[in-house]
Amino acid sequence: MRIEITRSGGVGGMTRTWSLEVSRAEAEERWLPLAEAEAGPGKGMQDAGPPDPARDRFTYRITVGYTEVSVPESRLGEPWRELIERAREAGRARPAPGPGEGSGPTTAAGDGTPEELL
Amino acid sequence: MSHTLPRTPCSIVPPHLLMRLAARQDARFAVAADAARRALRELDPLRQAREESLRAPVRRPSAVVGTLTRRIHDAGGREVLPGALVRGEGGAATGDPSADEAYDGLGSTYRLFSEEYGRSSIDGAGMDLAATVHYGTAYDNAFWDGERMVFGDGDGEIFGRFTASLTVIGHELTHGVTQYSTNLEYQGQSGALNESLSDVFGVLVEQRALGQDAAAASWLVGAGLFTAAVQGVALRSLAAPGTAYDDDVLGRDPQPATMADYVETASDNGGVHINSGIPNHAFYLAATALGGRAWEGAGRIWYDAVLGGSIPTDCDFPTFAAATTAAAGARFGATGREAGAVADAWSAVGVLP
Ligand SMILES: [Zn+2]
Repeated sequence: MRIEITRSGGVGGMTRTWSLEVSRAEAEERWLPLAEAEAGPGKGMQDAGPPDPARDRFTYRITVGYTEVSVPESRLGEPWRELIERAREAGRARPAPGPGEGSGPTTAAGDGTPEELL
Repeated sequence: MSHTLPRTPCSIVPPHLLMRLAARQDARFAVAADAARRALRELDPLRQAREESLRAPVRRPSAVVGTLTRRIHDAGGREVLPGALVRGEGGAATGDPSADEAYDGLGSTYRLFSEEYGRSSIDGAGMDLAATVHYGTAYDNAFWDGERMVFGDGDGEIFGRFTASLTVIGHELTHGVTQYSTNLEYQGQSGALNESLSDVFGVLVEQRALGQDAAAASWLVGAGLFTAAVQGVALRSLAAPGTAYDDDVLGRDPQPATMADYVETASDNGGVHINSGIPNHAFYLAATALGGRAWEGAGRIWYDAVLGGSIPTDCDFPTFAAATTAAAGARFGATGREAGAVADAWSAVGVLP
């Protein structure tokens, strides 16, 4: 099953896209439940509470099959970080992409956890 | 900044509870709310002033005389804030370019707002200026987290370190100024205006530091961040939005210069970093029409508009255009060349007829 990850925002406002293929079993066991939990009630970006004062942070849109979720960088947990890192690695193994379809040398998703925001 | 709150032996109620109590409007809790507000004031007068300025955004001259107090932290490659303190105000240079560029950039930004516009720090109440460098691993970004600026080192293949551009440092700190003044919502046109104000004052910080007039300035945001491998000069151009880069990995700079090319999109909070090209270009047109030092002419007008009280949090482009035109008239005369140049600039980008 194809998983596509699009990162937008950041001070540069540049949109980057990475994708990878995973087995149906892996998608159903790991990524679809995570995506559905993220898309579920109370997890949307329009939650009640004070608006996030952060600016220029990244937002990740992750599409697993027909399920699409939007996850702000500040809420990006370890499983998603692992997935994003794998998609980038897959991109690095492929030839150069078309314009805007970044898969080349990249960015964010460090190995740390944004503890200050959890 | 709850982690910086002093612990006082006389207050056993934690500050966050005091703040919740203090905010109660319910008559039944009037006494408790009052007591909580008093306790908060005793806890930290400066913090109290800051909270008041957040509730009633600073559209007045600063009541507190400002002193520049910088604190630079180092996250050591982790995504943890604030990191370890590496340089405080007046401290010796660290020898680390990121920490020292952040320190100097905070100073240049502070001086623009303080010496030109009389604003005491970003909140108008003398708030310390804080930055964290070396955030994350190969992290390709700089951001404002609500109380500090945060800089990544870049991945070394597309981006180098984000402190290398003074305009980006000014951009991030201006997000703080906006948070404590107009508090423009980070979505759609108001979000694009939020972004544009950061770009405008970001370039003005650099122009003032370099002593450049409008004709000599590059009008670029983030020049010098790309590695040599990237086909591009900067993140954005106020002079020619859409021309800052054209690269096989990054694609082409997507910024429009006029309303005819306004981009409707769901990503990037409705294209806040994209459609900012339109108000950016209007500022450039006004500043270059007026000539001379842009921070004294067009910059002063934009800053007056920010404080003028006619910019709602959900401001759209026409409302902002009207506010800047009115601000130009108020400061330089309604029939003066300044008001004319500002109105012409907004017409040229298609925001005003
Ligand atoms: Zn920004």
